[in-house]
Amino acid sequence: MTETTVVLILVVITALGFDFTNGFHDTANAMATSIATGALRPKVAVLLSAVLNLVGAFLSVEVALTVTNAVVKIQNSDGTPKPELLADGGQALLLIVLAGLVGGILWNLLTWLLGLPSSSSHALFGGLIGSAVAGLGWAGVKWNGDGSKLDGVVGKVLLPAVMSPVIAGVIAAVGTWVIYRVTLGVAARFTENGFRWGQIGSASLVSLAHGTNDAQKTMGVITLALIASGEWTDTKNIPLWVKISCALAIALGTYLGGWRIIRTLGKGLVEISSPQGMAAESSSAAVILASSHLGFALSTTHVATGSILGSGVGKPGAKVRWAVAGRMVAAWLITLPAAAVAGAVMWWIGDLIGGLGGALVVFAILAGLATYMFIRSRRQPVDHNNVNDEWDAPATRPRATAGAAS
Amino acid sequence: MHNLTLAFEGAWKVLLAGLILGAGLPAVFALGIRSLAYGAGGDAEVHATGTTGPKARPIGTVGGYAAFAVVLLGIALGITFVVATGFGKALSFEHIYPTIVDKH
Repeated sequence: MTETTVVLILVVITALGFDFTNGFHDTANAMATSIATGALRPKVAVLLSAVLNLVGAFLSVEVALTVTNAVVKIQNSDGTPKPELLADGGQALLLIVLAGLVGGILWNLLTWLLGLPSSSSHALFGGLIGSAVAGLGWAGVKWNGDGSKLDGVVGKVLLPAVMSPVIAGVIAAVGTWVIYRVTLGVAARFTENGFRWGQIGSASLVSLAHGTNDAQKTMGVITLALIASGEWTDTKNIPLWVKISCALAIALGTYLGGWRIIRTLGKGLVEISSPQGMAAESSSAAVILASSHLGFALSTTHVATGSILGSGVGKPGAKVRWAVAGRMVAAWLITLPAAAVAGAVMWWIGDLIGGLGGALVVFAILAGLATYMFIRSRRQPVDHNNVNDEWDAPATRPRATAGAAS
Repeated sequence: MHNLTLAFEGAWKVLLAGLILGAGLPAVFALGIRSLAYGAGGDAEVHATGTTGPKARPIGTVGGYAAFAVVLLGIALGITFVVATGFGKALSFEHIYPTIVDKH
């Protein structure tokens, strides 16, 4: 086994690890509302979401090989790696990808520990941007597109991040308001039951769309690494084992369930009832599907959070915990730069030691920090048993000061 | 600033499509629930305590299920869209009713 092969194996394992964190970080986007309203029991909800993510991942036949092209310049437009990065069996490119993935995973784990629903795609892009800046200089990043279509960090990441939660929030608010108007005069028990079904349906659609969108990204990254090291040459197809392992990784992650994040989204933001839950998930599903149809890249997390907030705004007399929302927005703002710093530091460490040793050290740092954060999480475990407990502390705070944070 | 213009163009379309599908379909679903409650009568509707609620009205039940059918159709369209996109196809609305075409 050559040095490159070992580095390649590390990259593949790390990419699958990212896919796994992507899964459990995003379970909440689809299922938090259904779990909070009791439409589905927590374990059933994560199982349903996992199965739909698995199915969704296999449905995405389209090749997402050029996923990194949106933000960094390590690939040509047909998906092949830039030739200048291919010396030493592609180790230069492998290190950039490895460092970027590690940056993304570390940020995903930290936000999970804090129970904050940050965007996994921002974490991935942030990590890659950081390692590309460290490895190739500022010119290694595609900050802005050429103007013909939405592209670059600004067009693919920043602008959609600002707009999508607002759009989703407006739609969910309108939906919630209309639903409450229409069902005025219907007994509460009757509506709760009916809307639970609507909620399950719309949440399932979100899960399916998530599987098709997000699993693809990791598939693209792994295939890029395979091409860079000469193990794969076809830019039109993805190896079957890559597809299967990515689908399984995201589904397993989803099944594990990021209970901390589910709790924040389902109980922390808004005290949610099933008509609101249905309005929120319908809005998320519609926005995700419509924007992928129109080529408008966005983060499922931002959409889902915007929708849930909107459903709180739209229900007459509902209480929105703006302090929690403010913390979330803060997390969104720092996700990209924080993952970028982590990615850049990882690249410098890897480059300083160099070769196989560098990659091994980076991987060891990832394993160590991941274990540490897991142990920290056990101090205050959140799982399917206590995910729906009352959210008390922030509710007693005055709203005026809390609102200023957002 | 091309990105900004392009983003607003995209955002506008997403908002419109989202309002129709993401708020419109739930509204139809809510109408269905209301219609079902109207059809079931009795305790399904809010009525003065001490009295029995209105009698069952079958027309409401029929209307309710019709509304649910519309919603199911919308969801089927959504799933078709996801699947079609995954296989490199796209949904076209040029004939008003949706057809599956090759992606250009």
